[in-house]
Amino acid sequence: MYTADMKSNRTRCLTFLLTMFCLLPAAQAQAHASEQGFVLLLPTGLYIAGGTLAVVASILLVTVLSKRALAIIFRPVELGQGWRFNALVTLCNLFATASFVALIGVGLFGPTGPQSNLLPLVIWTVLWVGVFVTQGIFFDVWRWINPWSGLHRLAMGASEPIYKLPAKLGAWPAVALFMMFQVFAIADIAPSDPRRLANVAAGYWIFTFLGMVVFGRKSWLAQVEFLSVLFDLIGRLRPANFACILKLGTLGWNAIERGPLSISLAVFCLLVLGTGSFDGLHETFWWLAKIGINPLEFPGRSAVIWTSSFGMLAASLALISVFAIAVWTGVKCVGKSPNSTFANAFTAFAIAILPIALGYHFAHFLVSFLVQIQYAALAFSDPFQQGWNLFGLGQIQITTGFLKSPASVKTIWLTQAGAVVFSHILSVLMAHHVAGTLVANRKDIVLLQLGISVLMVAYTVFGLWLLATARGM
Amino acid sequence: MSNGKTNKSTINRRSALIGMGASVGAMAASGSFGFASAQSVAPIKIGFQKHATGIGAAYGRWYDTTTQAATKRINDMGGINGRPVELVIEDDGTDPKRGAEVVEKFATQHNCDVAFGTLFSHVVFGSAPRAGELKLPYFVVSEGHHVASGKLNRYTLQPGITDVKSQVQSMAPFVGDTLGKKVTMIYPDFAFGHDHRDFFSDAIEAQGGEVVAKIAIPPTETTFTRYFPSIPRETEVVYHVMVGPAVLTFVKELGEFFGPSRPEIFGFIDSLEAVDINSPGLEFLEGTYFWEGNPRHAQADQTSHDKAFRAAVGVDDRGASLADSKDVSTYAHMFGCWETLNIIKRGMEAADYQGPADRSRLIEAVEAMTDMPASDDHPQGPKRFNGKTHQTFGQQYISQVKDGKLVCVHTASIEDGLYEDEVDYTTQSF
Repeated sequence: MYTADMKSNRTRCLTFLLTMFCLLPAAQAQAHASEQGFVLLLPTGLYIAGGTLAVVASILLVTVLSKRALAIIFRPVELGQGWRFNALVTLCNLFATASFVALIGVGLFGPTGPQSNLLPLVIWTVLWVGVFVTQGIFFDVWRWINPWSGLHRLAMGASEPIYKLPAKLGAWPAVALFMMFQVFAIADIAPSDPRRLANVAAGYWIFTFLGMVVFGRKSWLAQVEFLSVLFDLIGRLRPANFACILKLGTLGWNAIERGPLSISLAVFCLLVLGTGSFDGLHETFWWLAKIGINPLEFPGRSAVIWTSSFGMLAASLALISVFAIAVWTGVKCVGKSPNSTFANAFTAFAIAILPIALGYHFAHFLVSFLVQIQYAALAFSDPFQQGWNLFGLGQIQITTGFLKSPASVKTIWLTQAGAVVFSHILSVLMAHHVAGTLVANRKDIVLLQLGISVLMVAYTVFGLWLLATARGM
Repeated sequence: MSNGKTNKSTINRRSALIGMGASVGAMAASGSFGFASAQSVAPIKIGFQKHATGIGAAYGRWYDTTTQAATKRINDMGGINGRPVELVIEDDGTDPKRGAEVVEKFATQHNCDVAFGTLFSHVVFGSAPRAGELKLPYFVVSEGHHVASGKLNRYTLQPGITDVKSQVQSMAPFVGDTLGKKVTMIYPDFAFGHDHRDFFSDAIEAQGGEVVAKIAIPPTETTFTRYFPSIPRETEVVYHVMVGPAVLTFVKELGEFFGPSRPEIFGFIDSLEAVDINSPGLEFLEGTYFWEGNPRHAQADQTSHDKAFRAAVGVDDRGASLADSKDVSTYAHMFGCWETLNIIKRGMEAADYQGPADRSRLIEAVEAMTDMPASDDHPQGPKRFNGKTHQTFGQQYISQVKDGKLVCVHTASIEDGLYEDEVDYTTQSF
């Protein structure tokens, strides 16, 4: 449907995407039988074995690493005075609020299709994938673009809240909201429907704003607003920290430096991994067969709302239980020790789960991101379909060709698998360091991690299997 | 290629709400000055029920591309009854329940004149009853036999693509006469595969052949070697119609099982729709045969209609996107959207369609259609519409893989695919 003039501009207009692909180690969304078909032809069994061996080797290697050497790995380098740019951040937050409102407007009054309306593309692709990964690896983007705090800071300043949230409430409200969000994302019949999503987003913005007014911005964002809690946790993995003193270190150093989590935040970490894993699991032939669904004739999300909802809850509880058993095993192996109580170990080791959650999130969404970001660029160029061509992106032609070539599918799969394996190895290192803070001698450090190590090896196999197995949704 | 948006040459939804001034502006922007007076330029609204997400998304993207291209062409030619066509796109998630909701939105929120474009059968089944209740003409592009079987209603029509019963039946003469009389069928063990099993078994017996083995593969299977020893030695033709992500594995393992000495192999391109036939692992397909709804690769005797269709949709001679030669389209099926929209146009013109009050006249006008010659409106080939069963019939193509190209070796006639009427929707009241 494009004219010759449009085609002549193709190369220029694709520059944005090509650049992005080059920035990623390898260049979906929805069901792509050809991509999966090529994945099933790959020797994924060998790759899974190789990846798992790499994690096992890292566990063995780390046991001979001295406590001091590990401490050095996670010790950041101080590069000088950091910077906060508080005024500029507030300005950006205000702009983000205005953009958020505009996005809701696009959702309510813009195009009806989820791939032409900017709201679902921004929420599910830019925010849920792009910001999530950026937050965990590159920089604190959420601090700059969160749409909640700017207007509140401007209107309320640092005034005292009407009521105070009890400290003992911890981040449990955020845990509950995060689970509701994941149910909406994974089990709702049409989470990408622009009108539906606009109503949910607008409702949540009002809820958050009122919550900040009544209970104060700081405590609301730390205890209730699940995105802020999530991005704070994931952000602890970043190698660079610009606050106060500019520090640069190994991924995860900040998480270790900030110490053990509260029990609610520890559970939050496990839920990020648990729900993310279930998101992958519930698309597999294996799961669909378990719930009596023919994967070749998937009847749609409406047929699996309850199985997806309860399945996600069950998977999350299962992960928490398995993690608890793994921690308990280690604690029992060590015996009586003042620091290595079950509660201490549970909250301390939970932070080591975060890299796996981030790695799997990246792997799980990589394919859909590569497809949907093209639609996002197009929608960004003309959000109300007025024939605009903002930023020269209007002529981009959507392609999924990279999912139909065995070579590029292999590259993508290996990138996904590499992220999963690397994240597990990082978790092994972090867990070992955490163990060193709980017990003193090398033998106890190894014993304390016994269960956790088994869990990490098993989860490596599971995560890679999720990427390799046939999917039917 | 599609960008998932409403066609820019049409008047978009918001401007249509604003009124005729904006509509005229949009026409001017499109360069289309053939529309009627300002009083009547309110757009014809066609609700496009798109599989944007869910299991049908790969098809949905190309159905969208084709639909946008067909809409642009119609508008460039002056629209329908002097009015521009506006697409209203809603995602049904390839979900029957959501499909019914989308149909309802078309009728009650968007005030669409018709609904159009559904591919997956279960979504058609879920949506058609609601379309009937709302008295919204519902033009599906599904291939399913559900319309002609009489299970739906007078408001549901399939005028732009042949149904699977006709497709399968029309293959039997070529298979029986040219490839062999003794056929082993390998199919997925659910309704889609059962349709092939039942329709083809009857059709090949009518040709004097027989199905010597029926091998049903569980839908969750991802490796197939253990099923192949069940293929009888006397087999002259293997008829396969596997679908899903494991289909490439199936083809590879079938090739490894037979080696160089194999029976003739006949399959439906549905298995490899949107997959490059030259992909590594598919070498075994060389010399095998496929049904194609529309030949993916441009043939030596390519019609001007096919050439124009490819140019408009933005695919090359190998059925891949002009923007990315690896991005293979769903060429065997997507022509159905193009042809259906042209039939809606002709139906509205014949009925002098002015608005929803004329919906029943539109259906009667389409029911009155019979033969449609090959043309730019019908690039896949001629059609014969059966107004009683609401189902069209068309030529079918059999291609052989030769040097990595799908070369058409047989064209099944419309007559090859005709069968007895199973319903007369015209007897149903509006």
